[in-house]
Amino acid sequence: MDFFIQLFTDPVAFWNSHTLLIAQIGINSILASSMFIVLYSGQLSLAAPGFMAVGAYTAVLMDLYWHTPLALNIAAGVVFAGVVGVLVGLPVLRLRGVFLAIATIGFIEALRLGVILNLPITGEGLGLKNPSADPLGGINLVLGCLVVVLFLVWRLTKGRLGAAWAAIRQDELAALSQGIHVARYKMIAFVLSAVLAGFAGALEAHLNFFVDPGDQQYGVTRAVQILTFAVLGGSGHFLGPVVGALVVTSLPWVFEQAQAYINVVTGVFLIAVIVFRPQGIVGRGGLAIIRPWWWPRRNVRAPAPG
Amino acid sequence: MSVLLRLDKVQRHFGGVHAVDGVSLEVEQGSIHGLIGPNGAGKTTLVNVVTGYVPFQSGRAWLQSDELTGLPAHRIAAFGISRTFQNIRLFKDLTALENVLIGMHTRRRDDTLAQLATLPKVRRDQRSRMDDARGLMETVGLAARDIAGRAAGTLPYGDQRRLEIARALALRPRLLILDEPAAGMNPSEKQGIRELIERLNEDGLTILLIDHDMRLVMGVCKRVAVLDFGRKIAEGTPAEVSIDAGVIKAYLGSASERVVTSAPGASAAGDTELAGEVSAARPAVEPQNAILEIEDLTVSYGPVNAVRGASLRVAAGEVVALIGANGAGKSTILNTLSGLIRPDSGTAVFDRLDLTRAKPSAIVRHGLVQVPEGREILARQTVLENLELATWGRRDGSAKRTQIEAVMKRFPILGERRALRAGTLSGGEQQMLAIARGLLARPRLLLLDEPSLGLAPQMVDEVFKAIQEIHDEGTTILLVEQNALRALEIADRAYVLETGQIRLSGTGDELLHNPAVRRAYLGG
Repeated sequence: MDFFIQLFTDPVAFWNSHTLLIAQIGINSILASSMFIVLYSGQLSLAAPGFMAVGAYTAVLMDLYWHTPLALNIAAGVVFAGVVGVLVGLPVLRLRGVFLAIATIGFIEALRLGVILNLPITGEGLGLKNPSADPLGGINLVLGCLVVVLFLVWRLTKGRLGAAWAAIRQDELAALSQGIHVARYKMIAFVLSAVLAGFAGALEAHLNFFVDPGDQQYGVTRAVQILTFAVLGGSGHFLGPVVGALVVTSLPWVFEQAQAYINVVTGVFLIAVIVFRPQGIVGRGGLAIIRPWWWPRRNVRAPAPG
Repeated sequence: MSVLLRLDKVQRHFGGVHAVDGVSLEVEQGSIHGLIGPNGAGKTTLVNVVTGYVPFQSGRAWLQSDELTGLPAHRIAAFGISRTFQNIRLFKDLTALENVLIGMHTRRRDDTLAQLATLPKVRRDQRSRMDDARGLMETVGLAARDIAGRAAGTLPYGDQRRLEIARALALRPRLLILDEPAAGMNPSEKQGIRELIERLNEDGLTILLIDHDMRLVMGVCKRVAVLDFGRKIAEGTPAEVSIDAGVIKAYLGSASERVVTSAPGASAAGDTELAGEVSAARPAVEPQNAILEIEDLTVSYGPVNAVRGASLRVAAGEVVALIGANGAGKSTILNTLSGLIRPDSGTAVFDRLDLTRAKPSAIVRHGLVQVPEGREILARQTVLENLELATWGRRDGSAKRTQIEAVMKRFPILGERRALRAGTLSGGEQQMLAIARGLLARPRLLLLDEPSLGLAPQMVDEVFKAIQEIHDEGTTILLVEQNALRALEIADRAYVLETGQIRLSGTGDELLHNPAVRRAYLGG
């Protein structure tokens, strides 16, 4: 309870004492948007932690060896993640559903165990020191970037591209019969998602003095966490995974008093949400997050006569 | 008149099956062209090849001067061939309006970057597209104001069919392919679809229509092509096609020689008889003490009425055939009797057991056993294992072994192949296995669903011989068949089912010579 009491009675003190949490929510929200884009186009890809790793290591290595400015480092991480996205997408996007999920898990594990833990330049299993990190000052950058990302994703779902993605998610064959180049649009979604994940990875690296190649960070555990954002928040609306990221990331603080049982309590909470609201916290209706049962369902874009 | 769509010797095999075997076809600009054929004739495969879903193996296709051969589906759609699907494929969770908007994909400029700025022009375009989409919904007879905002999957069935047509029209097609647009509709909805098709055609749209409902196809098409086993067996005006001997044979099935000469419709003279005389022919052969009694049975799948008030009776020791065209509701009746589907209303009683309530397992134990359509054998188990599984629930160890041996003696081919995987058997042998499996459940009434489906003629002979023998040994049989002539030959009595209702009944011989049977299949 302390968590909420402080949040509502003294927001300034809350901000100061939870800076790291808020920054982490920002990073996770960008990852959630990355997950949203692939799910919105009907692809169950769990590759995000891999692209995060690409973004993070690229940015930090640039800084360590060439001392280039932060913006350039992050940009390089994003671009490289996109390139890897194309290379991974070419073979794996023939797969669908669970098979795609398993192939992308194969990708992240191959990258982490096969490449990162073995190359001298990535510090092998020891990770990398990142002396120019800025854990507290980075929060403004993260939140600023989050706003831009959310705006872009929101607009993308509104145009021709978003309509094509929705069609593919619903029925690939029917989408083909409408003249939609399914393979191309799936690839666009996959690469955009890789770019966003790489961006989140580079930003996250900037918040930590140490790049840790552990499973929690760039492995399957992280992939499952990101998937949880989308499942919990709902993947039919761009805000869904973001709300999911907010909830999942702050749960340990909300249930602080449970102490040793914290994982049990958060687990029960997640199960309860999924049982009682299978479409996710945010339904397709968007911001009508908690529509009371007597409130009329919003008709999508009511017609303007004439 | 110029030719819009031209197919030249299009071929497509699946393994050894010639799904489409050298079909050439010309569809004239501005016409409604029908494509008909019995179940499995290759109609949908042909459409799938033309629209790029299934690659060509040989042959070529043109839409006016644009060659379609070898192009992917989305390119072919962009050329202006739009289609609907046999089993509706709407974007179910999107709204009706969004479905139609997606149909405009190919003629919408990419506005992804402009969307980022939310320019007024983008909004204007969006608004005019939405007006356009609402107009299309009105064109196909949907009240846009009421349903535009509803998720497509929640619309009534008939509206979903119409919405799919609206989505197809949004592409501004040069050719519209409708794959069974009237499937599962009641007569008044069918009439509505018919009027819609005619109206679209009057506005200049060329339509290729595939449907099982002969009244619809024969009514609206100027030319009709008939497929059977992947080949085009006839083409012409509806009147020409409906009296073509080859077409009648493809639909009503092949009977043995002595019957063909007197088969309904074999002579054009039969055509002039009135259906009215037929109902007078309904004989009072309905048995008094029936083992199976069905009264006023109505069954639906969601909004689709598959069976509407059917009544029939079967007495012990009879062979009763239930015939009718594809989609008439035959299998639905059998599945209801087996307890797999629950009816909306009506009664079905088998030897004092209420079939509308009893569990499927209890129904089988009571002696009513179904041999399902498509055989449903376990392809990866051996023949013997398939037979053993059929007796799995029984506790009479030695008796069931002797019975399995007895069954393999009656079907010697199964005895020979007992150690082979069932999936390696031919279609006819698999059918024998399915029937043998049914016999092991010791039926008093055996339901056979389409035993001749997909079999070569000589195998059909074998299967029907086996059915005759089983009957001679005292098993009562209710037989569902598309191959009407064959079924009528061995049936004591038969019922003719058309769009969920029993239209005719009589002895097998009477119906064999009744022209109304042909009309139930081919329209008229």
